[in-house]
Amino acid sequence: MATDDVTPIRIGLVHLTDMAPAFVADAKGLFAAERVEATLSVEPSWANIADKLTYRALDAAVMLVPLAFAVALGLRGAGTPLVVPLSISQNGNALTVAPALADAIGPDVADAMAVGRRLAGIVAVGGPRLRIAVVHAYSSHDLLLRYWLAASGIDPVGQVELVVVPPVDMVAALKAGEIDGFCAGAPWGAVATQQGVGRTILVGSAIWRDHPEKCFGVTADWAERHPAGLQAVLRALLRAQHYCDDPACADEIAQLLSSPDRLGVPAAALRASLPGAAADGGVDVSRFAGAASVPRLEHAGWFLDQMARWGRFGAEVDRAALARAVYRPDLYEQAAGTKLVPMAGPERFCDGVT
Amino acid sequence: MRVLLADANLDRAASVADRLAQASAAEILRLAPGESLAQAVSRHRPDVVIVDMARPDRDQLDSIREVASRHPSPIVLFVDRDDPAFMEAAIEAGVSSYNVVGTALPDVKPIVETAVIMFRRYRQVETELRKAEASLKERALIDKAKAKIMQERRMTEPDAYRWLRRQAMDRGRRIADVAVDILGGGLAVSRDRRGNHGDR
Repeated sequence: MATDDVTPIRIGLVHLTDMAPAFVADAKGLFAAERVEATLSVEPSWANIADKLTYRALDAAVMLVPLAFAVALGLRGAGTPLVVPLSISQNGNALTVAPALADAIGPDVADAMAVGRRLAGIVAVGGPRLRIAVVHAYSSHDLLLRYWLAASGIDPVGQVELVVVPPVDMVAALKAGEIDGFCAGAPWGAVATQQGVGRTILVGSAIWRDHPEKCFGVTADWAERHPAGLQAVLRALLRAQHYCDDPACADEIAQLLSSPDRLGVPAAALRASLPGAAADGGVDVSRFAGAASVPRLEHAGWFLDQMARWGRFGAEVDRAALARAVYRPDLYEQAAGTKLVPMAGPERFCDGVT
Repeated sequence: MRVLLADANLDRAASVADRLAQASAAEILRLAPGESLAQAVSRHRPDVVIVDMARPDRDQLDSIREVASRHPSPIVLFVDRDDPAFMEAAIEAGVSSYNVVGTALPDVKPIVETAVIMFRRYRQVETELRKAEASLKERALIDKAKAKIMQERRMTEPDAYRWLRRQAMDRGRRIADVAVDILGGGLAVSRDRRGNHGDR
């Protein structure tokens, strides 16, 4: 196979800070250095990402892990086989609620379980169910929120109402009283706080410390047709992830992402959730390199178990087989030039489960 | 058949609705101002939803399946999963469609096709408009760069333009791109830096 062939690839993205590695790989010539001709397409919705992957208008996307499984299983209409050879980020999400609800929970609660107990007390009083918005039905936000609610003794199906609101509309929905709170990625929690319409009571990493957030999903047939090209894409992204993880680069990256043809939001809002940012409550800082880039089968297993727990699919799905078909740590090892070692320590969840 | 038409572009929504009303017996439903897709679907209970792919709240339709598990009626499906070529064309035009009742309706396809044709026509007009705007913007940039060259190199306007064109040809780039470099200071105009042309 000629090694000097250029590999064209179309990558779908959405308006979020943790899309940084793909933008950096493009803007800083890391794709070009690997002879990858990447076309980045910023899509208005996750549904567009899923449909365009299915109908081959995109070859790959930076996407939500549960959405990757939903596409692979065809849970939202037509689907297509996907592979995940790389994780993109850790953390970055926050639960932000209306000030009245935040006041009722109290200002002095530090850990996730204490917040959960206070919320359970409020829910137990009765009255209209609290309505909490997540960014997508198949999102890490939805699964992390449900996990924490259930661990706090709140039934996410019967005792609260979970709805879907696009991230860009969250703040307006909270302001209008259509929802009581939302769980979304940066910078929306900070925006709500800034406007005085909400307060962040919990960050995602307090539910599952350093949880996997976005992944790199590639249609299985593209991956099969371009084995060398895929490795080149992965090498470029891995290099970009290292760059994005360096606090010294955060200002430059925030500037880069803020341009109107990329995310078009103020650099300061982006900077707040990039590595090295002050952890001043309300913003969960994303990580991109090292453990954040590894597509671990254990992680796939957690997401699939939780999807099954909440009825996204039934016993007909062989979760272990699906995890192995989609998550491909072998492709990661090849690109990173390392053998995966077992995780340094156990995963840490809010309820003490490890 | 009840068709919910959700399009952020009001002009296009009106013409798609007109066209659909002529072409079929469908009852065309529209979103109220500020109404979200999920709200409109639960208010109208349509058989089919035709939606502009540029709407971010299209994500809400992905969760209506979940509603279905509690209330048996609406189930969202991506129409025409058996006809990938048609769906590719629809996506290219920026339209997607959902069958809200779950079973395939035999007369859905012509409705979706009509919408696709209208969306495509609008897209074409938009693309042409954008091209025209871009070319106007480029002309303004070239004029500015020309003025800078005229001043710094003390050239007449035709000479300045020829000089600009020569730079573009030498570099194998578009004149507008070279103009941007000149205005941004990335490409020196003054005579004493002439020897630097081969830098890039």
